[in-house]
Amino acid sequence: MNGMETIAVIFGGRSAEHDVSVITALASIIKPLELTKKYKVEAVYIAKDGTWFWDDRLKDIKLFTSGAIQDFIHKTAPASVQFDGGMTLIKASGIAGRKQHRKINVVFPAMHGTYGEDGALMGLLDMAGVAYVGCDVAASAIAMDKTLAKQVALANNVPVSKFLTFTKAELEREPGTALKDIAAVLKFPLFVKPAHLGSSIGISRATTKTELRNALEVAAHYDNKIIVEEAVGNLIEVTLPIIGNDRPQPALLEQPMTHAEDFFDFETKYMQGGKKGKGSSAKGAQGYSQIPAKLPKELYARAEQVGLDVYRALGCSGIARVDMLIDSKTSEVFFNEVNPLPGGLYAHNWAKAGVSSVELVSRLVGYAKERHTARQALNTSFSTNYLQQF
Amino acid sequence: MIREILSTYRPLYATVLVYMLQNTEYQTRPYIAWLHRTKDFSTVIKRRTLDETKVATMLLMYVKLGMLLQITFSVALIYLGITGSLVGGVAYGITLLISYPFVWAYALVLPLVAGRIFIIGPRNRKAIEESRAIFAAHPGLRIAVAGSYGKTSMKELLLTVLSEGRSVAATPANRNVSSSHAYFARKLTGNEDILIIEYGEGAPGDVARMAQITQPTHAVITGLAPAHLDHYKTLEAAGEDIFSVASAVPSGQAYVYGDSPANKPFIKKGYKTYDTDGALGWKVSKVSVKLEGVSFTLTKGKQSLALKSGLVGRHQVGFLAFVAAFALELGLTKAQVTAGLAKTQPFEHRMQPYQLNGAHVIDDTYNGNLEGIRAGTALLHDLKASRKIYVTPGLVDQGNQKEPVHIEVGKLIAAAKPDVVVLMQNSVAGFIQNGLEQGGFKGELRIEENPLEFYTNLSHIVAHGDLVVMQNDWTDNYA
Repeated sequence: MNGMETIAVIFGGRSAEHDVSVITALASIIKPLELTKKYKVEAVYIAKDGTWFWDDRLKDIKLFTSGAIQDFIHKTAPASVQFDGGMTLIKASGIAGRKQHRKINVVFPAMHGTYGEDGALMGLLDMAGVAYVGCDVAASAIAMDKTLAKQVALANNVPVSKFLTFTKAELEREPGTALKDIAAVLKFPLFVKPAHLGSSIGISRATTKTELRNALEVAAHYDNKIIVEEAVGNLIEVTLPIIGNDRPQPALLEQPMTHAEDFFDFETKYMQGGKKGKGSSAKGAQGYSQIPAKLPKELYARAEQVGLDVYRALGCSGIARVDMLIDSKTSEVFFNEVNPLPGGLYAHNWAKAGVSSVELVSRLVGYAKERHTARQALNTSFSTNYLQQF
Repeated sequence: MIREILSTYRPLYATVLVYMLQNTEYQTRPYIAWLHRTKDFSTVIKRRTLDETKVATMLLMYVKLGMLLQITFSVALIYLGITGSLVGGVAYGITLLISYPFVWAYALVLPLVAGRIFIIGPRNRKAIEESRAIFAAHPGLRIAVAGSYGKTSMKELLLTVLSEGRSVAATPANRNVSSSHAYFARKLTGNEDILIIEYGEGAPGDVARMAQITQPTHAVITGLAPAHLDHYKTLEAAGEDIFSVASAVPSGQAYVYGDSPANKPFIKKGYKTYDTDGALGWKVSKVSVKLEGVSFTLTKGKQSLALKSGLVGRHQVGFLAFVAAFALELGLTKAQVTAGLAKTQPFEHRMQPYQLNGAHVIDDTYNGNLEGIRAGTALLHDLKASRKIYVTPGLVDQGNQKEPVHIEVGKLIAAAKPDVVVLMQNSVAGFIQNGLEQGGFKGELRIEENPLEFYTNLSHIVAHGDLVVMQNDWTDNYA
C-alpha cells in the first residue's frame, strides 16, 4: 500500500437519492478503484441526517441491504474532516483515545441530488483545495437546476422544449395564476418536475388540468422550484454519457425503451429493472435500453453533437450525462437535462463503448488531477494597496 | 510467527483441515505435503468453502470430537496435577492441550488410510478383476484414449460423433483410473457396439496396467506434454507409459496425434497419425477459425465433406478430422458424421467461449499443460480484438521442469502479443515473467495476489471488444 494515493469515495447524503448514491458508490466506483491496484480507497458515508462516517465496513453492500447500517450508525463514532492544505479524514482509532488520520489525495463524490451533486460538496472540496472527480461547483449547480440548464442551453443556441418555471411560494400563494399561465403558453401533455431533483423523483406527466394541479402539488413537495415542460411529440428519448475536461469523449447514445406516453419514474427506473408494467429485471434502467440507439446515422450524429455542445456550454468536466428528446417526425433534437453524476456512472454504456469500469474510474481520477493541476497553476492572489487606505 | 501458531487454535481450524483433505481429493500424500507447506491456517481457504458432502461431514465430526476429547482429557490431567492426585499431571495436561492441533492434523487421515486398506482397496481390486472378464467378453470395439492432454476431449468427440450411427458407451466425465473403468464395466449391457475408455496416467505403469485389464481393440493417443512429472520424472517416461497402449492393440489400429512434437519419438511403423493437415487419408482444407467455432473441408480423392464444429481454435482441427475420418472408416455415413460434428460443443472450462460485459472470454481453465498453452496463445494471436488479455496462474505438477516450462509459457504468451497479461502471485510467476521479457512482451503486466477476487471481478476489468483467454486454474493446494 506504500506509495499509493488515497481516494475518498463520498456517498449517501441528505438527499432523496441517498439510496441510489449508495449503489453507485459500492457497485460502480469503490470496487473498480480497488481493482486498479493503484489507490487506497476510503469509504466515506454521509448518513441521511448529514453525519459523516469513515470505515472499511461501509464497502460491504450487505450492511445497507440488510438494514444493519442503522445499527452501525448508532454504534460508530462519526468521522470528521480537517482542511489542512488539503483534506484529512479523522476518526477515533479505538486505541487509548487516539485519533486515526488519513490524508486524502483525490475525492470521488458519488452523491446524487441535493448537498452532493448540486455543487454543495464541490464547493467544500474547492475550499479544501483537494482534487475531485466530476463537474465543478458552477457546472454542478447549473446542471442540477433544470431551468437554469435550459436557459444556458438556449443561450448557446441549443433547442429545448417550451417550459415555464414557478417557485413553491408562487404556487402556494396563487395556484390559479400558475395554471392560467401554463394554459396560455404550453400545450398538454406536460411534464412537471422538481427543478433540482434527479433519478426521476417527483416527476409527473399531466394530460388534464386536474392531473396538472396534482402534479404541481407533488413536485412542490420535493422542491422550491418547479419546472413545467411541454412534451415532445413522436418522442424518442436518448441519453449520452460523456467524460473528459477540455476534450469531452462521448460513450454511446442510449435509448431507454419506453413508449411515447411513458417516462421513467423512480419505481420504474430502479425498482422494476427499467420495465413498465409487471416485468422485472435485475439490470436496472439500463437493462431495458438500446445501446447504441438505432437512429438514422445523421440523426445519431446530430444528437451526439447536441450532447457535446451542452456539455461544453454548461462547463462540465470529468463526467456527465446529457438527456435529449427527439421528435422522430421532424428529426428535431431537444436538450432535456444534464445529470452531473450519472447513476452507476453509466458503466454499462461505457462497457459497450469499450471502456471497462476499471478504465472508466481510472480516467475520471486522471481528469480530476488534470483539472486540479490546472487550477493550482492559476494565480489566486493579487497585490493591491487597498488595505493601506484604511 | 505468533499469528501462524495461533491460527491452529482458531475454531475453524478443524474445517480447514477437512477442506485441505477434500481439495486433495482425500489423497494422503498431497494433503500431508500441503500441511507441511502451510504456515498460516487462517489463509488456507480462499477459493471455495468446504463442500459439505457426507464424507466431509463425517470427517469433520470425527476430528472435532477427537479434539474435544483431547482437550477434555488435558484439562482433567491438569486438574489432577493441581489437586496432587497425579504427579506430573500439569505437565502432561499442558503438553496434550498444546499439541491437539498437531495431533489431529495427522489423525485426520487415519480413517481414510484404514478405509483404503481394509474396505476400498479390496473392493476396488475385486471390481477391477471382474472388469477384466467383462471387457474380454464384450463383443464391441474397445477404443482406448490416452495422452497427457486432450484425452477427455477426444473421448467426448468420439462419443458424440460415433453415437450418430452406433450404440456407444464411454467412461463418464474424466473418471479415467482403473477403479472407474471397473465400475463403468459393471454398467455395460453387452449390447454396445463401441466402448470408449479414457486412460488417466499418473505414475509409471498406469497405462500398461489399464491396457491389460480393458484389452482395447483400438488405441487413440492424443498429445504428449510435461504433466505428472512429479511421478514420471521425465517426459520420456510418461511417453513410454502412454504409448504402451499402442503396442497392446492389433497392428494398424493405433492412431497418434501428429501435431504433438513430443509424440514423434514414440511413433512406430504401423501406427497411423492424424493432424491439422488430415487423417486416415483425408486431407484438411479451407479451415476457418471463429469464436463461434471452426469449419473445414475433408477431401479424399473425389470425395468431399464440409464440416462445422462448435469447438474453438485451430488446434481442434486435427482431432475433429480424425474423429470424422475414423467414423467413416467404421461405417458411419457422411450425413451422420456431418451431423455428429455439428453437435460438438466446447466442454466446460475447455476453450469454452462466453460473453462478459460485451467482451469475449475463452475459458480454458481446465487445461493444464504446455501444449494447451500453445493452443490458447495461438488462438489469442489469431483472433481480432480491440484489446487482448491473457490470464494464467501457470502450470502445476511440472516437477524439476518447472522453470524451463514456465519460461516457455512466458515466451508463448509474448508471441501472441496480448495488450495485458495477468499472472497470479505464486511460485511460477517469476519464471513466466522471465519468459515474457525474453519474448519481448511490451504490454501491461498485472500480478494478482488474490485470484478469486480477480476472476469474480472480471466484469469490471473488461469491456466490449476485448478478448480474454484464461488458461489453467490453481486450487488452494498449490502455492
